[in-house]
Amino acid sequence: MSSQKKRNFKIEAFKHRVELDPNYADRTWRVLEHAIHEIYNHNASGLSFEELYRNAYNMVLHKYGEKLYTGLVNTMTGHLKEIARSIEAAQGGFFLEELNVKWGDHNKALQMIRDILMYMDRTFVHSSHKTPVHELGLNLWRDNIIRSSKIQTRLLDMLLDLVHRERTGEVINRGLMRNITKMLMDLGSSVYHEDFEKPFLEVSASFYSVESQQLIECCDCGEYLRKAERRLSEEIERVSHYLDVKSEVKITSVVEGEMIANHMQRLVHMENSGLVSMLVDDKYEDLSRMYNLFRRVPDGLSTIKDVLTSHLRETGKQLVSDPEKLKDPVDFVQNLLDEKDKYDKIISKAFNNDKTFQNALNSSFEYFINLNNRSPEFISLYVDDKLRKGLKGVSEEDVEVVLDKVMMLFRYLQEKDVFEKYYKQHLAKRLLSGKSVSDDTERSMIVKLKTECGYQFTSKLEGMFTDMKTSIDTMQGFYSNQYSEIGDGPTLGVQVLTTGSWPTQPSAPCNLPAEILVICEKFRTYYLGTHTGRRLTWQTNMGTADIKATFGKGQKHELNVSTYQMCILMLFNSVDRLTYGEIEQATEIPPSDLKRCLQSLACVKGKNVLRKEPMSKDIAEDDAFYFNDKFTSKFIKVKIGTVAAQKESEPEKQETRQRVEEDRKPQIEAAIVRIMKSRRVLDHNTIVTEVTSQLQSRFLPNPVVIKKRIESLIEREFLERDKADRKLYRYLA
Amino acid sequence: MHKSGRGHRDKVQQFMAITGSSEKAAIQALKASDWHLEGAFDVFYSQPHIRTVTDSRHLEELYNRYKDPYVDMILVDGITLLCNDLQVDPQDIVMLVISWHMKAATMCEFSRQEFIGGLQFLGIDTTEKFRDKLSYMRSELKDEQKFREIYNFAFGWAKEKGQKSLALDTAIGMWQLLFAERHWPLVDHWCQFLQVRHNKAISRDTWSQLLEFAKTVDLQLSNYDEEGAWPYLIDEFVEYLTENGIVQSHQN
Repeated sequence: MSSQKKRNFKIEAFKHRVELDPNYADRTWRVLEHAIHEIYNHNASGLSFEELYRNAYNMVLHKYGEKLYTGLVNTMTGHLKEIARSIEAAQGGFFLEELNVKWGDHNKALQMIRDILMYMDRTFVHSSHKTPVHELGLNLWRDNIIRSSKIQTRLLDMLLDLVHRERTGEVINRGLMRNITKMLMDLGSSVYHEDFEKPFLEVSASFYSVESQQLIECCDCGEYLRKAERRLSEEIERVSHYLDVKSEVKITSVVEGEMIANHMQRLVHMENSGLVSMLVDDKYEDLSRMYNLFRRVPDGLSTIKDVLTSHLRETGKQLVSDPEKLKDPVDFVQNLLDEKDKYDKIISKAFNNDKTFQNALNSSFEYFINLNNRSPEFISLYVDDKLRKGLKGVSEEDVEVVLDKVMMLFRYLQEKDVFEKYYKQHLAKRLLSGKSVSDDTERSMIVKLKTECGYQFTSKLEGMFTDMKTSIDTMQGFYSNQYSEIGDGPTLGVQVLTTGSWPTQPSAPCNLPAEILVICEKFRTYYLGTHTGRRLTWQTNMGTADIKATFGKGQKHELNVSTYQMCILMLFNSVDRLTYGEIEQATEIPPSDLKRCLQSLACVKGKNVLRKEPMSKDIAEDDAFYFNDKFTSKFIKVKIGTVAAQKESEPEKQETRQRVEEDRKPQIEAAIVRIMKSRRVLDHNTIVTEVTSQLQSRFLPNPVVIKKRIESLIEREFLERDKADRKLYRYLA
Repeated sequence: MHKSGRGHRDKVQQFMAITGSSEKAAIQALKASDWHLEGAFDVFYSQPHIRTVTDSRHLEELYNRYKDPYVDMILVDGITLLCNDLQVDPQDIVMLVISWHMKAATMCEFSRQEFIGGLQFLGIDTTEKFRDKLSYMRSELKDEQKFREIYNFAFGWAKEKGQKSLALDTAIGMWQLLFAERHWPLVDHWCQFLQVRHNKAISRDTWSQLLEFAKTVDLQLSNYDEEGAWPYLIDEFVEYLTENGIVQSHQN
């Protein structure tokens, strides 16, 4: 039984069974073969495209695609071999030209052939997975021409030779080069790469290796970099003219590697022309070039940065340690500002405002400014100098600029609390002696400090300004009040200072002259009348006085002196001669101050309103002082008192530092307690880290001091050590 | 009855001599520790003591013997007499141990409570019993744990009433005394260092940490940890030792 189920009806496609003449294929092929020959022989004009196309079409249709294809391959190969021979035969420079011309011909031929065989391309080639005609044509060219043993090496050698010649200054035929390389690219990027690019890069590497060796021996750094830069742009130009665009990054990295990366260290450290001398001499162009070249290679910029940093630290260290430079604080700070300006300019003009370089600059400055522990004092003195007189005639914007620059230096300070102490002292002197040029500028500086350090830093400073203002109002009130019947008596100007805000300099008041005492008492009564519960103490070591004096020939002068000096001088209203001992007794001025006052009144040329016997500078108990009748000066107003701020003497400095250290102890303890209160249990190292970070805006605490404070807190039973682990501390509520 | 070899008998004798215990207790402890003396000590001391009952009348008598005529305390004279009775030098460290048992607040004086309470705890109500207990008390210094307690007790006991810190001279004296019992070779350098560099009173923290230092850090300071949160005086002492070449520096 046949298992014939439903039969699916299939309608078979109508097949035109044409019985072909078996020679048909051969004949048709020969027509086409002939056509190909003609095409290659530049005789294509006599051919009929339509006829040829039809022939090809028929062959494929009748299943002779294979024969057609094979025939194509063979014919083309044959022609190509001939072409190869003619290229090989070309002499010298004509080799490339011949190659170029033949390539052009081949492409044209290929195009025509492809057009003719288009049907085969679309059907037979496609279904039998053969290489399409155009591609086939390229491959055959590649295999028979480019990769032919007699051509391959010669081609490469020629190309490389041309490049070399161009590199050494000759002019070459760029158009021809371009065509050749384009040909290689058309044949496939691997052909371009294997047959040209790879060897090109290798040869270039050795070329530049040799050249860089030569140059580094005979050029200085700037010259070398100029040459390297030029080579780099040459190569880029070369690529744009006759190489594949993808070669650019490869060749530039070869140049960068050979010329820059391999010689980086030597260049940077070159004596008399390397990075350091460029920095010293502000060679912006050279520096900029170095920056742009080095940034192309790995570690290039970090190399520059490292040398920059160590140079900065070296020179900075010298700036702050050289005893010559330390003599004048204002110069000292000016040097720092100039140095900062110099490098800011370098970084902006040559280093592209690179942030890592900015950071290197900042960290170097921070490093060396803090090497000298007098930096805070000196910076304060610089500001003092500027606020005192240095800004007359300078516009307000310039003032702001200077102060902003000083603030940058301030930011680098680790011991900001030391600065605060000095700033307070200097500000007090400025305010009290009326020597501040501009109230606005003073205020502006305070605002900057407040922005930087917070309210606490400046609250006391602001208190000082308030006192000054209030004092003006107080004086107005005093003089308009019935309490004051001055008449011929001395005019009094009082500044009432709130104790907490001003730097304290305890001193016992000296004996004031009677006339002064009277009006002082009047003031005291007035003031305490309006402010109960306060206590006033005269600070006789801080005041000034203007005295009218008449000398021997009737010359009148107005003397501006300190309060102490006034007390001394007034004594001479009743007596002509006084010994040191008598003056001391009468005035009760402390001896060291008294001696200094007498020296400035009697021993300084142009200011000697007193005469001293003997004339020596030292002051002994029995030395006698006389009113100097013969005193002359071309100025009506003579200034004798010295209230200007100066850098401290060694013992004063020690004292200030000690006070700063003492002030830090409670701050450290407060920080420890705060931290322990919130964390309850903490190990030693963590406490030190936390404390340091909490206090860093004011100063850098010493770990040993922190440890001592911890032990003190243990003793006072704020903390205890953990019984099992010595390194752990507990907060005791 | 016991099959003790010669060696065992020696150990028993040794044990009894050091701890002042009975033979029975000695054998018991040694057996428990497999006849190792060190272990036996541990066993012995960790046992709760059998408190012998004391006669409170006798205690009163004893107290009154030493008590000061004007104050209800035993003061210097009384203590001298006590030492005499015990045939012990007043500087003998066993006095410290006694004070520790009595939880005495300050050296050179005992309150009624301290004296009587302490003796009760120790099971002493006559001078003979007191004398007998002395060797036991001396032996307690050999125990690590007890030594530490006694050492730390000594700080509070030796310092002036009302002071937070211990005067340097007193501290040095105490250290000499204590480190004679538990040998620390650096004690003399320590005392010298303090006199030269510090010359101030000693805090409690420094006192107690010093013992830890002596116990844990070796004589070449090779295991001294700079980050070990030692009191700063001890850090300075280490510096002093390296500066003066007493110890080789380990810094590279």
